[in-house]
Amino acid sequence: MIQIQNLKKSFRTEEVETLALNNVNFKVEDGEFAAIMGPSGCGKSTLLNIIGMLDNPTEGSYQFAGNEVGGLKERQRTELRKGNLGFVFQSFNLIDELTVFENVELPLIYLKMGKSERREKVMKVLERMKIAHREKHFPHQLSGGQQQRVAIARAVVTNPKLILADEPTGNLDSKNGIEVMNLLTELNQEGTTIVMVTHSDRDSHYAHRVINLFDGQIVTESQNRAVGAMI
Amino acid sequence: MYKLYIKIAVRYLFKNKLYSFINITGLAVGIATFILIMLYVNNEKSYDRFEGSENIYRVFMDFKEGNTFVAGDAQTSNYIGPTLTDEFPEVLNYVRIYRFDKVTFKRGSQLFEESNGGMADASYFEIFNRSLSKGDVSTALKEPNTVVLTESLAKKIFGDEDPMQKSVHAYYGEEVLLTVTGVIKDNMRNTHMTNNFLISFPTLFSWSAFEGQQSLNWDHCNYFTYLKLNAGIDKTLLTDKVIASDFEEDEDERYNLEPLEDIHLYSNKPYEAEANGSISRVKFLIAIAFIILILSWLNYINLSTSKSLERAKEVGIRKVSGAQKTQLIVGSLVESAVLNVIAIILAVVLSVIMLSAFENLSGKTLLVPTTFVKQLLPILGFVFLGILLAGLYPAILLSSYSPAKALKGKIAASMGGLQIRKALITLQFLATIILLVGTITVTKQIDFLEKQPIGASLDRTIAFNGELLTSDSDSIIRSKFRTLQSELKAMPMVKMATRAQSFPGDGYDNLSSFVGIVYPDGTEDSRTNFYNYSVQSEYFDLFNINFLSGGTFIDNPKGQSRNIIVNEEAMKKLNISTPEDAISKTVNFFGIQWTIAGVVENYHHFGLKNAVQPIIILHRNSSNNLLVKFDENLTNATGYAAAIAQVKSKWTKIFPESTFGYTFVDKKFDAQYQDERQFSSAFKIFTLLALLIACLGLFGLTSYTCIQRKKEIGIRKVNGATITEILALLNKDFMKWVITAFVIAIPISWYAMNDWLSNFAYRTNLSWWVFALAGVLVLGVAMITVSWQSFQAAIANPVEALKEE
Repeated sequence: MIQIQNLKKSFRTEEVETLALNNVNFKVEDGEFAAIMGPSGCGKSTLLNIIGMLDNPTEGSYQFAGNEVGGLKERQRTELRKGNLGFVFQSFNLIDELTVFENVELPLIYLKMGKSERREKVMKVLERMKIAHREKHFPHQLSGGQQQRVAIARAVVTNPKLILADEPTGNLDSKNGIEVMNLLTELNQEGTTIVMVTHSDRDSHYAHRVINLFDGQIVTESQNRAVGAMI
Repeated sequence: MYKLYIKIAVRYLFKNKLYSFINITGLAVGIATFILIMLYVNNEKSYDRFEGSENIYRVFMDFKEGNTFVAGDAQTSNYIGPTLTDEFPEVLNYVRIYRFDKVTFKRGSQLFEESNGGMADASYFEIFNRSLSKGDVSTALKEPNTVVLTESLAKKIFGDEDPMQKSVHAYYGEEVLLTVTGVIKDNMRNTHMTNNFLISFPTLFSWSAFEGQQSLNWDHCNYFTYLKLNAGIDKTLLTDKVIASDFEEDEDERYNLEPLEDIHLYSNKPYEAEANGSISRVKFLIAIAFIILILSWLNYINLSTSKSLERAKEVGIRKVSGAQKTQLIVGSLVESAVLNVIAIILAVVLSVIMLSAFENLSGKTLLVPTTFVKQLLPILGFVFLGILLAGLYPAILLSSYSPAKALKGKIAASMGGLQIRKALITLQFLATIILLVGTITVTKQIDFLEKQPIGASLDRTIAFNGELLTSDSDSIIRSKFRTLQSELKAMPMVKMATRAQSFPGDGYDNLSSFVGIVYPDGTEDSRTNFYNYSVQSEYFDLFNINFLSGGTFIDNPKGQSRNIIVNEEAMKKLNISTPEDAISKTVNFFGIQWTIAGVVENYHHFGLKNAVQPIIILHRNSSNNLLVKFDENLTNATGYAAAIAQVKSKWTKIFPESTFGYTFVDKKFDAQYQDERQFSSAFKIFTLLALLIACLGLFGLTSYTCIQRKKEIGIRKVNGATITEILALLNKDFMKWVITAFVIAIPISWYAMNDWLSNFAYRTNLSWWVFALAGVLVLGVAMITVSWQSFQAAIANPVEALKEE
């Protein structure tokens, strides 16, 4: 699904050029669950943004489902993102002015889906995330765990091929964290590819493979033998 | 999708109540002000517009002053209309109107005083496109001694009776019996000359009130002349031809043409029918309207962009959810439309509420309800277009946020964006300071006009007047007046009583003017316009007008002589070097030799807006005004009311069939500054609104900066900065902008107000303190606005700020 070769990303200010990613090479296969780990500032989030097509690499190649996306314009990236990618963030990133239902409905609106179909899909995913009873609530009326379940619901409502999770349990207590990881694992088991950035060793054990980044480079890659051991 | 945008917009507005309140209030106030001013401007521009009005021109006279011609008189002779129609095939028709200052109608024993009316040719209805509700337009004013009345005047005089072919007496110095031959609809149109009655022009030739001008002549310039021109012609060319014609073989005066549609706003000549508007005031108000509207838009842009930082996360979410940039822009514009629609609704409500107050202020009825929507639509259309443009910048800014950064809360103000916002705020304060300098200057000028000595003491003086409906001879009237005067003088509260044709502040109403005089040194001057009026000997004493040489007229039983008294200005025009030299010198005008008996100081007959004109005061009887100066002990309104009642009873005893009216002379003089006072009140209100809007903008920007610098403030506090130091840090920048605005505002406002003051012959100076006061006031208000927000930021717990980071 993802093939990255010699990927570089640098940030330039007036005086300094910082190399955030340096010659990164890796692949993520369809249906895989990969975790990216590393200390703060190692380039994890930058890599995730590039994989999520929120940012372009400075150099190198990024192929998504066989298409080169490295040099795409924003409009093209948006089109490709729609329906193919779902995002889960540490800080949930729900729109405060929208209800649970409306937040989850958002990507479907941009896919120009009809109203009744939207309702059906949203309710289905909310039920699956066990949050349907809260459909009319606003984000600030929910607990952190509930908010993250809504965020996951929004990420999966379009049935994306790939879910990108940026420290999805970072703002949650351990009980809610486990719940969220179980949900992601379930999704993965149903065939969704997942790439997750995490600080947490425990969370990384849910992944098939852990990629360790340091100073913008992949330093180690390891396979998890006992996937789901924590479940 | 639009539903979603609207939903978010409405929820956002409710969630951010203070922001919404500031933004909507700022916009609504700005738009309401714009609507009101534009309604006023529309009203001012609507004068004399009707089907075919573009082909109607007024003839006026230019006089030579030095080597150039200046507009000298709105009125012309009764000969020019027929002459131009004969001479130029481009002129299809003409109408002459003699304007009455007041006519008294008598029906049975009832008297009706009417001040707006004229004596007009039968072509009046054709030229002014007016129709009659009763009578025939082609014949109504054809015959002598006929009159056309408006519906309301006809009802006033005749009640429910049909007025057609009924008789009514009219008094204008002399009596005439008129037959009603038409009823005209009440005038709903804005016009520079309202006519509630029209007497047929041929009446002139038999009415003794017009003795001496009952033939076609070039001498009596007492008639307004309007021409109907052929629609297809080059009007400038015709005007040039009229200017070049010399019908009177007098190179010092010429005839000129002006479009009827321009009279109300562009003409301010001596002897206009009514006080006209002023294009410069209209332009000034348009400028203010746009300044205030732009200020409120800038405000909106400022507040929205500063608030957009808080919406960065939402933009990020939308982007990762698949929103395209254009969708985000449209979304943002829809939101801006929601906010603005609320503001516009509020503005319309506000303007309807403020309309009556504004009408009082402007002294005008701005609109009739049926045209409200028609007038409002283009104004609102323009406002909406502006709003769309104003909404575009925040929309583009918002949509350009990088989603990766936005979601991490790492959107910071770009330096460029901040510079733009600083420039906008500086611009707002620049406009506010200019308006404030304007307000202070206008107030100072009015104060100057009111306090400046005018060379005459007008207090405690009342001018009594009325139409004497009598067939008595002049000598009997004179004798009756003498009796009335001595009876009044015998009243304990009366100090003096005298008769005069005009008085200071009476304007042009009763003032005559002439050209053609022979100086004492034999120079014949056919250019200089001299004003003249008749008085009795006590006039100067009553008004305490100071003599530079000589003295007042010596009374005689006839109350008239060939002595004249001139003002200093007239003395100079007559080539006399000192007041002493003037005494006993003779001048010749009206074909009579006159002897100068005295020279008076230049008192202000017209108010301080105009320069002092050369005035020659004649010793003659006049029954125009009976001036009574009351005792110092008469202080309150009740006292005056009782005194006036006593005068009235004496007046009606001697002139039982006369009407009776009175005017406080000082109030009439002051009324000349009414326009300036209204202008000043409007200026004050608009300045206050501009200041309010600018402060709202500043408030928004301060809150934005405080959000931006939250971390910095936290770090500084953790490292020992005091609240005062933080306040100084935050306020310093804002003050820099206000000071920049102040520095730029000084030359602009100096130029603008100097220009405005140049309209006055007598004017106050633009002192340094006017600018300083404006600067300090604006700086003070800005400081309070900024400090409220920066204080909140300064006292905030730094731990909170740092934790968020």
